[in-house]
Amino acid sequence: MESLMTWLEARLADNSIFTLQTLEYYGEGLTTTVQLVFLSLVIGLILAVPLAIGRGSKHRWISLPIFFYCYVFRGTPLLVQLYLIYYGVVFVEGIQETWLWVVLEKPFVPALIAFTLNTAAYTTEIFRGAIKSTARGEIEAARAYGMSQGLMLRRIVLPSAFRRALPAYGNEVIFMLHASAIASVVTIMDLTGAARFVYARYYAPFDAFLFVAAIYLCLTFAILYLFRYLEKRLLAHLKPASG
Amino acid sequence: MADTPIPLEVRNIKKRFGDTEVLKGLSLTAQKGDVITLIGASGSGKSTFLRCMNLLEQPDEGELVVHGEQILFKETSKGREPADWKQVVRMRAKLSMVFQGFNLWAHMTLLENVIEAPVHVLGKPKKEAIAHARELLERVGLSARADAYPAQMSGGQQQRGAIARALAMDPEVMLFDEPTSALDPELVGDVLKVMRDLAAEGRTMIVVTHEMAFARDVSSQVIYLHEGRVEEAGAPADVLENPRSERLKQFLAPKH
Amino acid sequence: MIDLHGYGPRLAEGALITIELAVLSLVLAILLGLATASAKMSRNWVLHRVATLYTTIIRGVPDLVLMMLLFFGGQIGINMITDMLYDRFGVDIFINVNEFIAGVVTIGLIFGAYMGETFRGAFMAVDAGQIEAGRAYGMNHWLVFRRIRFPQMMRHAIPGLSNNWMVLLKTTALVSVIGLTDMVRVASEASKATREPFTFMIIVAVIYLLIASLSEWGFARLQKRYDVGYGEAD
Repeated sequence: MESLMTWLEARLADNSIFTLQTLEYYGEGLTTTVQLVFLSLVIGLILAVPLAIGRGSKHRWISLPIFFYCYVFRGTPLLVQLYLIYYGVVFVEGIQETWLWVVLEKPFVPALIAFTLNTAAYTTEIFRGAIKSTARGEIEAARAYGMSQGLMLRRIVLPSAFRRALPAYGNEVIFMLHASAIASVVTIMDLTGAARFVYARYYAPFDAFLFVAAIYLCLTFAILYLFRYLEKRLLAHLKPASG
Repeated sequence: MADTPIPLEVRNIKKRFGDTEVLKGLSLTAQKGDVITLIGASGSGKSTFLRCMNLLEQPDEGELVVHGEQILFKETSKGREPADWKQVVRMRAKLSMVFQGFNLWAHMTLLENVIEAPVHVLGKPKKEAIAHARELLERVGLSARADAYPAQMSGGQQQRGAIARALAMDPEVMLFDEPTSALDPELVGDVLKVMRDLAAEGRTMIVVTHEMAFARDVSSQVIYLHEGRVEEAGAPADVLENPRSERLKQFLAPKH
Repeated sequence: MIDLHGYGPRLAEGALITIELAVLSLVLAILLGLATASAKMSRNWVLHRVATLYTTIIRGVPDLVLMMLLFFGGQIGINMITDMLYDRFGVDIFINVNEFIAGVVTIGLIFGAYMGETFRGAFMAVDAGQIEAGRAYGMNHWLVFRRIRFPQMMRHAIPGLSNNWMVLLKTTALVSVIGLTDMVRVASEASKATREPFTFMIIVAVIYLLIASLSEWGFARLQKRYDVGYGEAD
């Protein structure tokens, strides 16, 4: 490790911008971005499953509010949602004196809330589409074998819907990674935040932003390949058998 | 007579798809008023041969002379190509094709389909083209459907419309690529009747078809193709009534 | 009524900028998209590679990063060129990168890549027989494109076009970050000054939803126009 550091330091010796210190900024930024994106995706996913089922409910008092939530969060810019939640929290009277302020003081939590609500809305629509496209025959077969509504949902509808939703969900993951760049607007030091800092400090936009663009590109490709692999594994049954 | 150029001459056409040679040197001369029918089993190369005549397929070898004008080719790294695309465009305007799948332009009404190429390719005034188109639609029995879109018409109507579209070009030669194969049996008759009328008025036609009655009654010459070669050719009475080769006999034998 | 603390007129100006920005970017994106789709379908491998590189990079990097790169980097790049012009030829010009133009160029460039994919798919969906009939009747490439390929392609492209437009509209919010006073920027300033974020942000959200709903209606009408001749039978 020690020797690696000295080697790296030597490499960077005649480079005024990419010093060990700035690389550390980028490294911390990467961690923040991954945390933010990963957490919001996981929570959003958990929220989206019941929402997607409720969205298709026959009871309008269940389906309508969910429809409205999805419509608003998918129809407005994420930046507006972020501002709304960030300023909304900051400007609540007296909040700065309460214990809540300890968590909310950092912009990470408002950003996480905004991102989660946003991705949950998109994911709900993706799942709903997948659930709706379940083959009629499969549902009829489940009914014919005496499955209850709940059992059918759990054993037949959802497993196949999740698989069908995979390609669209892969796009949503990439979309969230890219959308997370706006976290830097509310002073979060994510990847883009690190790049903005380096730019401001050295006035070197090309170095600062091209470097971070390359990191995002690598992350995008990693997600792309992960989902391609998952699709291959999980959607193999939909391909016609060969040979 | 001697100074009117021959409408279409095709010499020694060869065509390869990958490793298989599908046309092995085919020739044909269409004099004015000729109706030449190309028959043969599927895969015999008859449609490909027809498509080589207006260069929808590029022949690897061979010559084309349209109305006395020799089509020029050049060798490129990707094979032989026409040397002058303007010449090809000019030549195609003289050879109107009627397709198996009709290929009427789906976003235009029937009338718009008929005037499209005369106005935009030949540069005919729109008014004149419309007047001519209405006459042609009358002739194929579709006056009432001038403003219909292809999707609103039956297959037989679409094909008769497509024939009107071909006629609107005042072509030297009309090429028919299995014009009745995609039609329901009860609709075939109307289309064949239009084609018989065209033959009777002295149109030069080259027809790829499976309709043996049409070939026998209407054509001046029948060419039987087998695996990219001419197996037999001649007057319909000779070829269809007295086939010499075993293959043709079998091909003509009533099915079942 | 809602008290806007005097921010009403500025908010309206901001909304106008948002709309102008979105429409101009859309025009640029469509032109770039058509060019990209043509390049990707061409047999020329250099064009093909360039177009693929363009769409890959654009789709792999966040909009905001691209915007900052082009906006901040663009100014320095232009300064370098004008400096060189001065040193070499004594030409003394100063070009200030205008935020509005930078915004239009960036958003147009980003969505040109997405439009390229939309158009490519739509061009491929046009039935080959339709094109062949055009060629068989002596139409040259340009005529086939103008009279057959384009109008038939549009029918398949409109759903994607509409989708891209909705995303583009929301992406315009990012220009507030590089200093353009669109409605999001005005609302953000007003929120900070008045400490009433809900009032302003909700107004802005409603305007976005309004534009989106209005354009959804517009695209439905456009689709109807290009659907002419399809599906009336059966």
